[in-house]
Amino acid sequence: MFITKYIKDVFGALKSLGVGMKRTLYYFTHHKEIITEQYPDNRETMHLPERFKGEVVMPHDEKNEHRCTGCTACELACPNGTIKVVTKFEITPEGKKKKAIDKLVYHLELCTMCNLCIVACPSDAIKMAQTFEHSVYDRNELTKILNNPGSKIMDGVE
Amino acid sequence: MMNGSDILFYGLAALTLGCGVLAVTTRQLFRAAIFLLFSLIGVAGIYLWMQYEFIAAVQVVVYVGGIVVLIIFSIFLTHQAGEKLAPQKIKRQIAAFLAAFCGFALVMLQVYQHTFTESSETAVAPTVKAIGTQMLDTKNGGYALPFEVISILLLAAMIGCIVIAIQKTPKGISQEQ
Amino acid sequence: MWSFSKIADFIHEFLGSYLNSTWTMIAEMVIAGVAVIGLFALLGLVLVIMERKVSAWIQIRLGPNRVGPKGMLQSLADTLKLLVKEAMTPGGADKFLFNLAPYIAMIVAMLLMAPIAFAKDFQLWDLNIGVLYITAVSSISVISILMAGWASNNKYSLLGAMRSGAQIVSYELSAGLAILTIIIFTGDLQVSEIIKSQADGWWIFKGHVPAIVAFIIFIIAVTAETNRAPFDLAEAESELTAGFHTEYSGMKFALFFLAEYVNVFIVCAIGATLFLGGWMPLHIGHWTGFNHVMDYIPSSMWFFGKTFFLIFVIMWFRWTFPRLRIDQLLNLEWKYLLPLSMLNILLATAIAILGWHF
Repeated sequence: MFITKYIKDVFGALKSLGVGMKRTLYYFTHHKEIITEQYPDNRETMHLPERFKGEVVMPHDEKNEHRCTGCTACELACPNGTIKVVTKFEITPEGKKKKAIDKLVYHLELCTMCNLCIVACPSDAIKMAQTFEHSVYDRNELTKILNNPGSKIMDGVE
Repeated sequence: MMNGSDILFYGLAALTLGCGVLAVTTRQLFRAAIFLLFSLIGVAGIYLWMQYEFIAAVQVVVYVGGIVVLIIFSIFLTHQAGEKLAPQKIKRQIAAFLAAFCGFALVMLQVYQHTFTESSETAVAPTVKAIGTQMLDTKNGGYALPFEVISILLLAAMIGCIVIAIQKTPKGISQEQ
Repeated sequence: MWSFSKIADFIHEFLGSYLNSTWTMIAEMVIAGVAVIGLFALLGLVLVIMERKVSAWIQIRLGPNRVGPKGMLQSLADTLKLLVKEAMTPGGADKFLFNLAPYIAMIVAMLLMAPIAFAKDFQLWDLNIGVLYITAVSSISVISILMAGWASNNKYSLLGAMRSGAQIVSYELSAGLAILTIIIFTGDLQVSEIIKSQADGWWIFKGHVPAIVAFIIFIIAVTAETNRAPFDLAEAESELTAGFHTEYSGMKFALFFLAEYVNVFIVCAIGATLFLGGWMPLHIGHWTGFNHVMDYIPSSMWFFGKTFFLIFVIMWFRWTFPRLRIDQLLNLEWKYLLPLSMLNILLATAIAILGWHF
């Protein structure tokens, strides 16, 4: 009936308003829930979420070895041409020619942190770092070479 | 030598008349409405000066809060900001001036010919309570009957509004959307 | 005991000993005017920082925390910024009305201060139509918004002004009816009489269900009348940039902003006076001992405490609920609030005639 629906509407509205106001009052009185990071002041103690993505890096171990085979899967996966893999041929001790990377060029200024290259990499050579203070005076400094100079591919990574 | 009360009266009268003149002479319709508003506020001020607070408040509620807002709304819906009205023809100006002058002369004539005698009855205090009792009284010259008649007029007007505004759904279209 | 009325009496006697009665009155008028302007400035500062802190805490943020201790001087810094900013008048605007509108908003807010009782025996003008005066004068405030919207010659401003006009005109009805419920109980429009009638308990406790319903309707209606969220369609940032004050800047914008906050204070003060007893301490019937203890808290503390509690409730509304659409807004008023408040008035009248209220 119309009138019961009307009364139900009024009480339902009041109840839902009450639920909303209870939640906001909880936040108003519980200051521990505040999530604001006072960034430049708390640079040391700052908490970043686990899945925050800052830039693409290539981890090297202590013998200056990386895991990149130069397969260019990341370059193909990148939607806006951020990564450019420059390959070279190395002569293995057995006398065979083998493909390896010369440079892995990464354009940070083009990167949208979409994570597609990390997913595409078959040998887990690259990952996302949590650094984010990227401002520099010259734009060219944003074009980075990810592999360290003189680095080699790790043994056993094909 | 004028006392404070006189200064207030002439000030309010000047506000009322000055804004009234501006309301009819300005060529921007919205400004005319605003000047009319100030003129009506001046009238409310004169009621307040006479210590008829209730009448002053009703003047503000009805004219300022109701009628002027209605006028402004109709201006909003029909005119563009910055638009100026064309100046009136000289014939019309003369006719309007004559009509206003005749009305003014008639009123002033009546005022000067009438001799005001002081009423022997004690005045009703213009408090809300006294006005309310008088308004709904059926004896002692109460205003219950005129009050009810006017309320029937208002009711008729409201029903008329609803009839005009009622939505006629064309045939073939169901009421539910 | 220290109180506002003592100070007022002292000033009156002090002036009376040096000047004749006319000049005493003029001097007192000047003092009252300056005091009201000072109160406005103070309210602006306090309410802005309060709003920003409340909104921050409700939204799990910190809020202003750089200027002064815990950011408490932030609104002072904002005021300085607004004072030194250039006050622009757009070329296509109707300059006279454009510059007049903020002052109308301010003057209306000042006039509304007159009948408010800030403490025991401390009131600017205790006129016998107190509450009616407030509803009458507050109906002028819509004019300043319409004027600003029209004179800006900007389509956003015009739309905002029209929305706000429709909103204020319709919500005035249910606010008025809610006020009327209390008038039925007290049988008087004078503010001092309304407060005196609550000496044995506030109307929200004495008036049974109708008073509580009227209180809820009053709070909703005045939130709409002061154009605050969730009823802030007049200045909906995401749709109309800033509604009627899109074209205003600098001090003229600040006047609108201040008038909005002062209006919030005034409607909350009226709500506190009508429903929560104004400066009257919490008294319960014939518990003389309890009432006596409550009297030790100064009356001005009671008044400002209640008023700021209501202001907090209105801020709490603002930061909890999403904005209504214009059709939802008008539906709420004409289909829900107005019929309910009319029914409520009938109930209140029955209770008042039968003498069921305490």
